[in-house]
Amino acid sequence: MQRLYDVLRAALLAATAALMPVALYLIFVNAPEEKVMGAVQKIFYFHVPIAAVTFLSVFVLLAGAVGYLWTRRAGWDHLSIASAEVGLVFCTLVLITGPIWAKPAWGVWWTWEAKLTTTLILWLLLAGILLSRAYASSPEQGARVASVLGVVAALDVPIIYKAVDWWRGQHPIVFGAGKTNPLAPGMMSALKVSMLVFVLLYALLVAARMRLAALEDRLAALEDAAWRSQ
Amino acid sequence: MNGSLARPPGFFAAAMIVARKDLRIEGRTKETLLATVLFALVELVVFGFAFDLDTIRRMGPEKVVPGLLWLTLAFSAIVGFTRSFRLERAREALIAVALAPIDRGAVFVGKWMANLALLFMLEAVLLPLVALFFDVNIVGVAGPLVLVVAVHTVGLAALGTLFGAVVSRLGRGEALLATLLLPAATPLFLSAVHCTASALAATPLAVERKWLLLTVGLDVLYVLVAVLIFDAILEE
Repeated sequence: MQRLYDVLRAALLAATAALMPVALYLIFVNAPEEKVMGAVQKIFYFHVPIAAVTFLSVFVLLAGAVGYLWTRRAGWDHLSIASAEVGLVFCTLVLITGPIWAKPAWGVWWTWEAKLTTTLILWLLLAGILLSRAYASSPEQGARVASVLGVVAALDVPIIYKAVDWWRGQHPIVFGAGKTNPLAPGMMSALKVSMLVFVLLYALLVAARMRLAALEDRLAALEDAAWRSQ
Repeated sequence: MNGSLARPPGFFAAAMIVARKDLRIEGRTKETLLATVLFALVELVVFGFAFDLDTIRRMGPEKVVPGLLWLTLAFSAIVGFTRSFRLERAREALIAVALAPIDRGAVFVGKWMANLALLFMLEAVLLPLVALFFDVNIVGVAGPLVLVVAVHTVGLAALGTLFGAVVSRLGRGEALLATLLLPAATPLFLSAVHCTASALAATPLAVERKWLLLTVGLDVLYVLVAVLIFDAILEE
């Protein structure tokens, strides 16, 4: 198990490290410059994959939380810790890269549009889950509380998106059903590779965080045993 | 209970016992209702200073008042939800509740019904006060308004009861509950403010069918999820 994990992590690390320079080359050298927006549009190749990974982490969080509530196995909770923490980092990056692009593209740093608002609410939900876990009196209580909150938050996110969308809209829809792809070929390949790189980076960070959580559990068990034997 | 092996009550009977217990305690102390109603009154006065009746009249009361109403309700409800589980912390009553031979989901349903009853009482005081302070006519639209407020209160109480239990187990108070509950209740609040505005403007409720359906769906979802996962919170 440990051996398999080491191999997996090494493979993820190697693939991420090898593909990231390729993605940077495709984005900054190979992809044509956007006619209207110019160089600022390059942030698109970071913003979109990071946002996609943020919402991927919500599904992973749901899986970890439901898995823990169902089986009470620590491994599921480690997955839920990892996806909540890494998800919060990616969510923060979405909220930073978004306004940097919105200001030149729309003329404002922020609008109360569905995708932006949902991302901000998601940030608050993830922060609330991590805060509650930190307040818990024992790791088991933290795991239960975070799982309960995680289930509600993950189920809530698509509903929040729909509700804010009804309330008001405005985000550019690049890929819509029945629409032809508006991206130049160089742009599309840069986006695809960048997407792959960020998914790999996410998997690598989640794997590392899960390993850290497992080590923390083992350390706590050893400290407990040492304290008892005194 | 006569010493022999009494059959434990079924799900709904157990929920009713929990709800009746909470409401009986409230009936004797009147603590939660007093605290939430007074807090709501203070909030309304503060909003009155903050926005000024002239501003509200200029902008159109049906645009501003729904927001004021739901902010007031949300903050007062948070005070109520926190108190709901503080009852169980006194003399470790929660251990007895957790040990009772009933479904833990029934404990949630009982608590939720008691909180719902208290919120309805709070709203019965709050709605006329809002109408009085901010010069809105609610008599003509009373039917749709009451329906809209009630259907959104059901979901708010469900989520508030669930999160109230979480916060109480963590030994925290209103600040953490507000931080957790308000973002999670976003769809409810958007719908509530939107539908209340329509009700006050005497728009037929059929126009807001999709919002009302969403809210009924949320009410059902929150109650079902809470019933299913509540035992993780009561566990020691």
